[in-house]
Amino acid sequence: MADRLNHGFAASSNPGVIVSIRNDLGYATIMVRRGADEQLKQRVKTAYGIDLVPGPRRSASGDVAFLGIGPTTWLATQDDGGNGFSVSLKQAVGDAASVTDQTDGYVIHRVSGPRIGQALAKGFPIDLHNRAFAPGAVAVTAVSHLGAIIWRLDDLEDGTPVFEIAVFRSLVDSFRRWLDDSLAGFGLARN
Amino acid sequence: MSDISAPQPNRIDGGLIDRSRALRFHFDGKQYQGFQGDTLASALLASGVRIVGRSFKYHRPRGIMTAGAEEPNALVELRTGARREPNTRATTIELFDGLEALSQNRWPTLRYDLGAVNSLLSSLFVAGFYYKTFMWPASFWERVYEPLIRRAAGLGRASLQPDPDQYEKAYAFCDVLVIGGGPGGLAAALAAGRAGARVIIADDDFIPGGRLNNDVHTIDGLSGVEWAKYTAKELDALPNVTMMTRTTIFGAYDGSTFGALERVSDHLPVPPAHQPRQRLWKIVAQRSILAAGAIERPIVFGGNDRPGIMLASAVRTYLNRYGVAPGKAATLFTSCDDGWRTALDLARAGVKVEAIIDARSEISPSLVASGQTIGARLLKGAHVIDTRGAHGLSQIRVRTNKGDDIAIESDLLAVSGGWNPNLALSTHLGGRPRWSEERSAFLPGDLPRNLVVIGAASGALTLAEALKQGTAAGATSADAAGFKSGARPEFVVDDESISGEPLWQAAASRSKAFVDYQNDVTQADIALAAREGFTSVEHLKRYTTLGMATDQGKMAAVIGHAMMAALTDRPMPQVGTTIARPPATPVAIGAFAGRHRGQDFRPVRLAPSHRWAEQLGATFVDAGPWRRAQWFARPGEADWLSTVIREVKTVRSAVGVCDVSTLGKIDVQGADAGIFLDRIYINTFSTLPVGKVRYGLMLREDGIAMDDGTCARFAPDHYVMSTTTANAAKVMQHLDHARQVLWPELDVQAISVTEQWAQFSIAGPRARDLLDRLLGGAIDISDAAFPYLACADFCWRGRPARLFRVSFSGELGYELAVPARFGDETIRAIMEAGAGYGLTPYGTEALGVMRIEKGHVAGNELNGTTTAHDLGLGRMMGKKDFIGKVLARRPGLVDPDRPAVIGLKPIDRRQRLRNGAHLFSPGAAVKLENDQGYVTSSAFSPMLGHWIALALLARGRERVGQILRVVDPLRGADFEAEICSPVFYDPEGARLRG
Repeated sequence: MADRLNHGFAASSNPGVIVSIRNDLGYATIMVRRGADEQLKQRVKTAYGIDLVPGPRRSASGDVAFLGIGPTTWLATQDDGGNGFSVSLKQAVGDAASVTDQTDGYVIHRVSGPRIGQALAKGFPIDLHNRAFAPGAVAVTAVSHLGAIIWRLDDLEDGTPVFEIAVFRSLVDSFRRWLDDSLAGFGLARN
Repeated sequence: MSDISAPQPNRIDGGLIDRSRALRFHFDGKQYQGFQGDTLASALLASGVRIVGRSFKYHRPRGIMTAGAEEPNALVELRTGARREPNTRATTIELFDGLEALSQNRWPTLRYDLGAVNSLLSSLFVAGFYYKTFMWPASFWERVYEPLIRRAAGLGRASLQPDPDQYEKAYAFCDVLVIGGGPGGLAAALAAGRAGARVIIADDDFIPGGRLNNDVHTIDGLSGVEWAKYTAKELDALPNVTMMTRTTIFGAYDGSTFGALERVSDHLPVPPAHQPRQRLWKIVAQRSILAAGAIERPIVFGGNDRPGIMLASAVRTYLNRYGVAPGKAATLFTSCDDGWRTALDLARAGVKVEAIIDARSEISPSLVASGQTIGARLLKGAHVIDTRGAHGLSQIRVRTNKGDDIAIESDLLAVSGGWNPNLALSTHLGGRPRWSEERSAFLPGDLPRNLVVIGAASGALTLAEALKQGTAAGATSADAAGFKSGARPEFVVDDESISGEPLWQAAASRSKAFVDYQNDVTQADIALAAREGFTSVEHLKRYTTLGMATDQGKMAAVIGHAMMAALTDRPMPQVGTTIARPPATPVAIGAFAGRHRGQDFRPVRLAPSHRWAEQLGATFVDAGPWRRAQWFARPGEADWLSTVIREVKTVRSAVGVCDVSTLGKIDVQGADAGIFLDRIYINTFSTLPVGKVRYGLMLREDGIAMDDGTCARFAPDHYVMSTTTANAAKVMQHLDHARQVLWPELDVQAISVTEQWAQFSIAGPRARDLLDRLLGGAIDISDAAFPYLACADFCWRGRPARLFRVSFSGELGYELAVPARFGDETIRAIMEAGAGYGLTPYGTEALGVMRIEKGHVAGNELNGTTTAHDLGLGRMMGKKDFIGKVLARRPGLVDPDRPAVIGLKPIDRRQRLRNGAHLFSPGAAVKLENDQGYVTSSAFSPMLGHWIALALLARGRERVGQILRVVDPLRGADFEAEICSPVFYDPEGARLRG
């Protein structure tokens, strides 16, 4: 993947933006079955200790997180989960929800750094400022004419914001061309 | 820099320029010099350049008229080669070292322009001359007149080369947007910023301060320049305030959204690496404050376009900001007190003021006294009626209040007819300006939601008013956005007198008196429009071109409208004024495109096997948003057709593989998934056994076919639907609409998994052999265990996988799906496993040929006009209810005369059938009424050895065996073809099974 994602400029030693790809994540969409909202809540709480909240929020515990991406729809992620995550998730929620593996459907980038807000403003048509998009916020939106899901993790200790961005796998080259262009002026490092 | 020696005869002391940084530049090939902080206009004026361009229609010599974006005359071609940019305003171009500019609209030179002969022919070029002069003879229009006009039309020349620079787009959000960085805007930003609101203040200049930098003012004991500097510094230090200089807010749009252009690198010779030339901002503001100031009004008089005639405020700007005296002997022509400031500033700068001509007969004694102290001759109630001078102004003719004509020798005439609020942005959403008798100006009328107008833009012309209104608007806007503003500072400023009487046009003259300089619209043109009945301001604009082109009538429009009011004896409110559309100032198309050009014109979706196909040297084709392999040429193949023929023959005789991941895949789950699909498709899916696949067709609500594909059942509550590549997104929306809006009572969930799975079609007589070898017993694929239309999920190489026994080619076929991350690995494994069986990869072209040979319909037939019956799929319709069933029974959709899909074979087998050819009965005349249908898909059939086609033909199915005439006038074909079944190859379908 690395050579495919690199076009144009060298990594910077004093980067304004740091980019990494979350190859380790397993993820799946989860949609409530009709009338099973309470059941699903309980099963998620029991299995993962997570309170499933409606709306565009990320709730996490341990290595699992649930991101609200639509009415009664979440994207669930598990560190190092792989394709197996959807299987264990289905076992956990049973007939309270439909589970669909998306581990291969998206490529997820983690982006951070002091200049990240300015870089993302070149493509995301939404307000990513602290006051509008605090840690835990999720948005299903677009970036530079391609569909994207973006969420904000907890800030680093020095207050630097951290975002993760999911785009369809087939679009990752186009996304990377946009990302590289947009942060070229700020200096880039890859983790 | 050592060779800088060009003189700057008009440079004087003072100004906000850095004299330690001399800059060299070229205008029309001649070298000049200026300083850091100059504009091209100020540097040209400093160097004594008076003529900077020729007018559009009459090619009259023109000079710099203004010091801002409203400049109508000083339009130049900036830079050279691929970076050449026509029609840039010299008054807004920041000087940089090595700048090169050329004047426009002149030949052979600016000083001696042959086009000036148009002035002698001016009776031909009056308003509406297109419609009058070039009417007769009619035959001359295309051959003579139009080419002539086209050659004369347009200003400046585009470079015609690709722009080497980058452009960028960005989004910004704020509580308060302040448009304009003059005194009012700075005060507003300060009040809102101190309250803690997120503030963006945008100013098109490169130093904030607006008129504080151009005029002599004091605020709280500081000079206006210093106050602006300190205020900007405080704003800069506030983390919640963003100060954007060199940024023009050019448009107001719905939803409190504004368009802005940031000229990131326009002031540099070449943008540094990774820095765009310009950045287009979309700014969403909760509240906005329009503080765009005002534009001075000239006065219309004979010879008012001679170089050396300038707006009075522009003269002050050149004196105070740029340290340039644009003349040696100056005269002022004004009808308001504000103009007098120019006379005083000129005198203070050491320029001789010959005369002050004030059209008013009553002038305040203090002004008269100030005029006396500078020794200027005062002419009250007088008008300038004409000017003289070969290459710029040398003499002014004045009609005194006694009716005498006198001459005054001057090389600079400063003109002030009052001020027009710069209110364009307030009209972008339809707001009409309203006339104020008190201010003698149009003021902003109905405003966009959450926008307030302050200062000169609102007609409040004094500095004190601007600061007070700015502070109030900033504080109120912050409060409205949920912040708490503190005490509002009160500013102590110097007193200003702003009284005046509008003077639209001076006493009549035999010389041309220009209203719109850029379009050469004269007083006489306005009068002609009035005589001919074009009295509405919109008709006036179209008939005379008043207010068109790059300046959009910023100076001219209101004067023209006032003149029309006088000519038609109507009050100004009744005449009204035109409203503006975005952009308020010109914006390059490149800025709107941003980085979306060339390879990045739009996002491209790459299939999982893309890298592998690239390495194999495949030829690609864009199919909707996807880039797919079209064919895989091998060395020695003469052309694409021989490649495709080889691919088809290999699939039909051995085995082939094709990436079909681009087809839409939708996961449908839930207890009611089967019932749901029964309502979506015309045929039944609730009865489909687990482990089976069925072909389905879905209709739109109106009964027309929408999409087709297969749907597989993996569990009682789990189906996977496939759609065509082109309709994948549309079908997903259709399903979401159906389950969320039409039948929320059904327990069904649907989500796209197109991207999750890499899917490969493996087809041909050796397909099972290949799979046996590839899968190594991970699943039993014997015909008994896995017959035609079976499906299964299984584990392969420790990963989930799916297998479907389906076929688009008509051969024994399978589709193998693996998680997309492993698509590249899997296609390579397939190639390896197939090597011993003669495997070929094939692309979309061979896929298309084989589906035509099999008579399968695709996008060309599912074209939004065809019914299930037209497609030959009418018998699939079940008795149950489904979307489109009712409207599919409309008389028009069950008419037996409707076209149906049939096959065509040319009688002369050498003839080539092509898409779009029309069908006629033999002997019928080739005309629309006799049209019987058309070819939808065509291909050379490698199996039949000639061209074949699918066509939509009226009553087609009952005409099999008849002969038709195929007419293709576009490509010159006219031959006979035989109507046949659309299934050309293996009509029994024996090859699929077994």
